[in-house]
Amino acid sequence: MSERTTQFTRSLGGLFHRAGIFGAVVLILAIGALVSPKFLTAGNLLNTVDSVMLLGIVAVGVAFVTYSGHYADLSVPTTMAFSGVMAVEMLRFGFVPALLAGLATGLGIGLVNALMVGRLRVNPIIWTLAMSYLTMGVMRWLWSNQQIYPDVKGGDTGAGRLFTELYRHEVLSRIPLPMVILALFAVAGHYVLTRTAFGQQLKLVGSNPSMAAMTGVRMPRTVGLAFVLSALAASVGGILITSLSKVGAYYNGEGYDFDAVTAVVLGGVMLTGGRGSMLGVLGGVLMLGLMSNILTLLGVDTFAQRIVKGAVFLAVVGVSSLLARRMGRDDA
Amino acid sequence: MTMHKERITSLLAALDRHRIYVLLALVFAIMPFVAHGFGTVNNLTTVLKSSCLNATVAIGFTLVLICGELDLTIGATLTLGAMLTIGLQPHLGRPGSFAVAVAAGALVGLCNGLIVTKARVNSFIATLGSMTILQGILYIYSHGSSVSVTGPADFRLADFLEKPLVPLLTPRVLITVALVAFAQGVLTWTRPGRNFFLVGGNRETAWFSGINPARYVVGAFVVSGAGAAVGGALFGLSMCSATPNLGASCLMDVIAATIVGGTAMTGGKGSVLRSALAVLTFTAMFNGFNALGFPSELKILIAGLVLALVVIHEAAAARRHEKARGRRPMLMEELRRKAPPQERES
Repeated sequence: MSERTTQFTRSLGGLFHRAGIFGAVVLILAIGALVSPKFLTAGNLLNTVDSVMLLGIVAVGVAFVTYSGHYADLSVPTTMAFSGVMAVEMLRFGFVPALLAGLATGLGIGLVNALMVGRLRVNPIIWTLAMSYLTMGVMRWLWSNQQIYPDVKGGDTGAGRLFTELYRHEVLSRIPLPMVILALFAVAGHYVLTRTAFGQQLKLVGSNPSMAAMTGVRMPRTVGLAFVLSALAASVGGILITSLSKVGAYYNGEGYDFDAVTAVVLGGVMLTGGRGSMLGVLGGVLMLGLMSNILTLLGVDTFAQRIVKGAVFLAVVGVSSLLARRMGRDDA
Repeated sequence: MTMHKERITSLLAALDRHRIYVLLALVFAIMPFVAHGFGTVNNLTTVLKSSCLNATVAIGFTLVLICGELDLTIGATLTLGAMLTIGLQPHLGRPGSFAVAVAAGALVGLCNGLIVTKARVNSFIATLGSMTILQGILYIYSHGSSVSVTGPADFRLADFLEKPLVPLLTPRVLITVALVAFAQGVLTWTRPGRNFFLVGGNRETAWFSGINPARYVVGAFVVSGAGAAVGGALFGLSMCSATPNLGASCLMDVIAATIVGGTAMTGGKGSVLRSALAVLTFTAMFNGFNALGFPSELKILIAGLVLALVVIHEAAAARRHEKARGRRPMLMEELRRKAPPQERES
């Protein structure tokens, strides 16, 4: 390759990494404005944000797993569904026990993943896939393929109504609750990644696992915590999605694994681990929301949107790994 | 005393190595006694027939796993194969639509392989992306409903494929057996076949011994795509209809069977024959459970459970192996646990 093209790809790569996802967000905003006059209205943009709040919450968790160099957590959808179903089932004991049961379910799944991938160092994709089938099987077997309804399970206690109104609850009677949770998660996630020992160790584990082990990072604990955080975020997302759909069912959260990884990777968290930021993840989530909004305005149906999403995902993953190698930053 | 212990250890190791034969024998020994009607010729024919799809898909999947990669698209690719075979029949006739379906499967594999080797995207991630794209295409092609043969239907071929020639063996079973035997033969007795193991075992060594690893990885993905499409196409030819979620449960079943069959997740080790036998074992087991009146949801749970147990078992074995070779990835952990308390970090 000639000197000039090398320089060009290097500066392009630098630009790609620095301006990152928000450059792309501005670009897609401009495209959207060209596509439809309805796009750049406050109502439409708010709707877009509204539609990706849950994805954002889940993606913040998955970002830890990707950052640690373990690609993705495929047990996210069933963790979401299971947390929701457990919460609905426990509504008979009241509203707070239900929420705690949902979170505990996520924590349990996260701890099993942590043990397996962290300590036994099982292949994360195969393990989380197995875990998703296991939890799916448990749910479908115990509830014999039935959906369960919060207002029925909650009985006369009013807990059911509280639960179904959870998603639409507005903090300070202005800001939707999921938005507040997403903001809290993002800030906390950013803080943990950049300012804590765990965050630094996770970066080291992600960029060079054997080096991390040699310097004395507690690998099982560090990697495990990433999976626990992912499962906890998924269970919060699961409780909220169950509250939104007003039904606890094994198929809640379907597709969130792929969407979350797409958002995380779009946001500049490298699949090879150790590089990226929470701000980028938020950008990636926003980008996905805007993209599907524009496609919907263009009249593209959900199935065709899937194709576009998959293509964008592959393109971003391919280009980012290619650029990283061109810049000599990676040997993946 | 130690001799005795050693003998037991080596016996256990041998049992583990040949676990799939043991499991197969166990299932076929126990099921006829506990499950009513399991042992009839009719039911055994059904078991063989319903293993065909996953066994064909497992051939290519095992090959990809031997290369140290993973192909998550198999479920979508087999659905693609079945749908194209059925959907294109009015236009191209049976041989034509079959050929197009298999070619489409191979093309999917080629794309996967090129993304993995040229763009160097991790295969789990790359195939996760292409799986999403394929699913979208499938739903658009079928409008979300099942595709069946239209026009003046001719079910003679379907009848022929499903009717036993000799007791137990229908033509579709025979084709599957032939495919598995061919793949196993190529892998065991030919030089390119052996090279797949070298590529999976140690890519660098493979490179130094004059093999182009990328070519083999692409090849494995192409075989996986084509194999999945062949399985789907044969299924489509004999069933005359296909639904968009035909391959939904296939991925999990095939992964479980392949790993239970002894193919290493890390690559370099595996056998197509054993994967196919594992598929047969699983199918027979679920058939027996059905006869016992277990709910079908339990199937997902048990397949997940079996896979989880085998994965844990493999991981533990790998760790023991590394320790025995003197490699201790958790050395810092071990030292820390043994260290006196005052030396620990505060």
